[in-house]
Amino acid sequence: MRQLLAAAFVALVLPGTAAGHATLTGASPETQSTLDVAPAFVTLRFDQAVTATATAIDVFSPSGRRIAGLTVRSADGRVLTTRLSGARRGEAYTVRWRATSSDGHTGSGVYTFGVGVTPPVPTEAFGASGPSWTDDAARWAFFVSLALLLGTTGLRLLVLREPLPARLSDRLFGVAVVGGIATLNVGIAAFVMRSEDALQVPFADLLYGDLSPIATKTRFGLAFIAMTLGFALVTALVLLAWIFDRPSLLWPAFVLGLGFATGLSLSGHQGVEPNATFLTGLADWLHLVAALLWVGGLVALAACVWPLAPSLRRTAFLGFSRIATVLVAVLVVAGVYLSISRLPSAADLWETAYGRTLLFKLGVVAAALGWGAFHHLVVRPRLEQDDAPRGLGRSLAGESSVAILVLLVSAVLVNAQPPPVEPAANSRVASTLPP
Amino acid sequence: MTPRAELVHWAFAAGFLLLGLLLLAEVIVGSEVFEMRRWRRYLWPSLAFGLGVLLWPVAVFFTSSTLHMLAHASWAEVAMLAGAVQLALVRGKLTSRWWTLTLSLTLLVSAAAFLIHEQNPWLFSRSAFLHHAIGWTLLVAAVLPLGQVLQPHRSIWRAGFAMTWIVLAVMLFSDRDVAPIFGHLSDLAGGPR
Repeated sequence: MRQLLAAAFVALVLPGTAAGHATLTGASPETQSTLDVAPAFVTLRFDQAVTATATAIDVFSPSGRRIAGLTVRSADGRVLTTRLSGARRGEAYTVRWRATSSDGHTGSGVYTFGVGVTPPVPTEAFGASGPSWTDDAARWAFFVSLALLLGTTGLRLLVLREPLPARLSDRLFGVAVVGGIATLNVGIAAFVMRSEDALQVPFADLLYGDLSPIATKTRFGLAFIAMTLGFALVTALVLLAWIFDRPSLLWPAFVLGLGFATGLSLSGHQGVEPNATFLTGLADWLHLVAALLWVGGLVALAACVWPLAPSLRRTAFLGFSRIATVLVAVLVVAGVYLSISRLPSAADLWETAYGRTLLFKLGVVAAALGWGAFHHLVVRPRLEQDDAPRGLGRSLAGESSVAILVLLVSAVLVNAQPPPVEPAANSRVASTLPP
Repeated sequence: MTPRAELVHWAFAAGFLLLGLLLLAEVIVGSEVFEMRRWRRYLWPSLAFGLGVLLWPVAVFFTSSTLHMLAHASWAEVAMLAGAVQLALVRGKLTSRWWTLTLSLTLLVSAAAFLIHEQNPWLFSRSAFLHHAIGWTLLVAAVLPLGQVLQPHRSIWRAGFAMTWIVLAVMLFSDRDVAPIFGHLSDLAGGPR
């Protein structure tokens, strides 16, 4: 026991022989920088001594040509340097590095710089892979989570405004909180998967991978930061609204949630299209939030109101039906506008993968809208006459399922690359951020 | 531009110390006296909830390694949820005492994050030692909320829970050997910055 206490004392009080994992504190050329002349060296500086192999720093041209020499370690072990040969003006370069901290963990990272040109973001660096089916699945899960959070909150605020039975209120809050927590977790998972695409390292190395260039130098990373902070706040507000019986707190949560959903528009291909304008950005956001409120509201209606509050079914259905009409109108108008702006010709619909996915999405949307139209045109008049048709709860669940399928196809579409289009006169210079 | 990691650790250490002192104060004077003013019941759950919310910026701004981001995010999430559950218990929104076990879950998740995070043995370095010490402290402490549920009138469990946060705070204050703790600084850390 004494020996253990002595060991603890020594380890705590005496200077340690190592810190935590080594962190990259500086790089030359800097991350995402644009240089006027080709650099002769790449230098990486760490916050502690590292060990590295002779090929610890690799530098690639856009065509994959290696231009880095052997990696040299400084005397104090905190700086790694490699000489470049053949870097030339007009090209962007990808730097990939691996270094082992004194605690034995191997960190790795990727960044880009350009010589006379703007470099690509790290997720588009040489060797990075594009979105795969796992990224599609993550985006779909994100859409569904967000629909639960915003749709349920929206239904509570816009349709079910009166005091609710405790069980129904608790379940609505429960669904919203689950949506909020899921939004946070799925967002983190999606960010890590996207980073893995960029870093191209085994999972064990990914755990010590440096994600900061991806977090701070890409639209996706900045959207991840903003949305994680935003939806943490939104979830906290929903929790507080439930705990303290203050539905008024749902308003800031709802408005903030809708606002932070813009992160999805800005980080998807909407943000990087050459013909992207303020109007296409606004249309993308409206399309998204209308879909989320519609799908989430449907799920809340089917999973919360129907089983728990039979006396409120009629009020809730009729109220939601009115809102859904507006949401669907916004969804369709914004969707048609975006389709026209992203597909230069009608033939793109069947000649490109993006167009074919869009056609499939339109088919599923048509099924969902048809189901909704049946509810609106057939069921609603009967409910207004106090004649509730049997099996309406199951029908709502069915419409919800088709709507969730719409979100799945949308997720695939968002990760797909639209056909090339001419830049708009007032378009943003997208794809890269200022260094 | 993010603050140095040790400054963030110390800020949260201060929060955990306050949390522990609040809990300890209740144990010392007894719940009857402590809760004579009703707002005092909300103090530590609110603090836990707030610390959880404040951990989210740490999770997303400190992305120098995936593992750190995941660990910080898991602590943020469980702290926020545990604080919310405790607030709901105080408020009467939740009534079953078994909800107290969310504190055990919080401690278990936090312990796992520390222990999985550190893959070196105890005495490999100061940072390794602290990771193990914090991880095992939290793991052992996870039994304390269970004791509170099974024996609510025995203050030993609540005292142990309070002390856990004080001990955690002390260990967090000792963290990072790039900071001059007890007047010492590792040469490898490169001197004061």
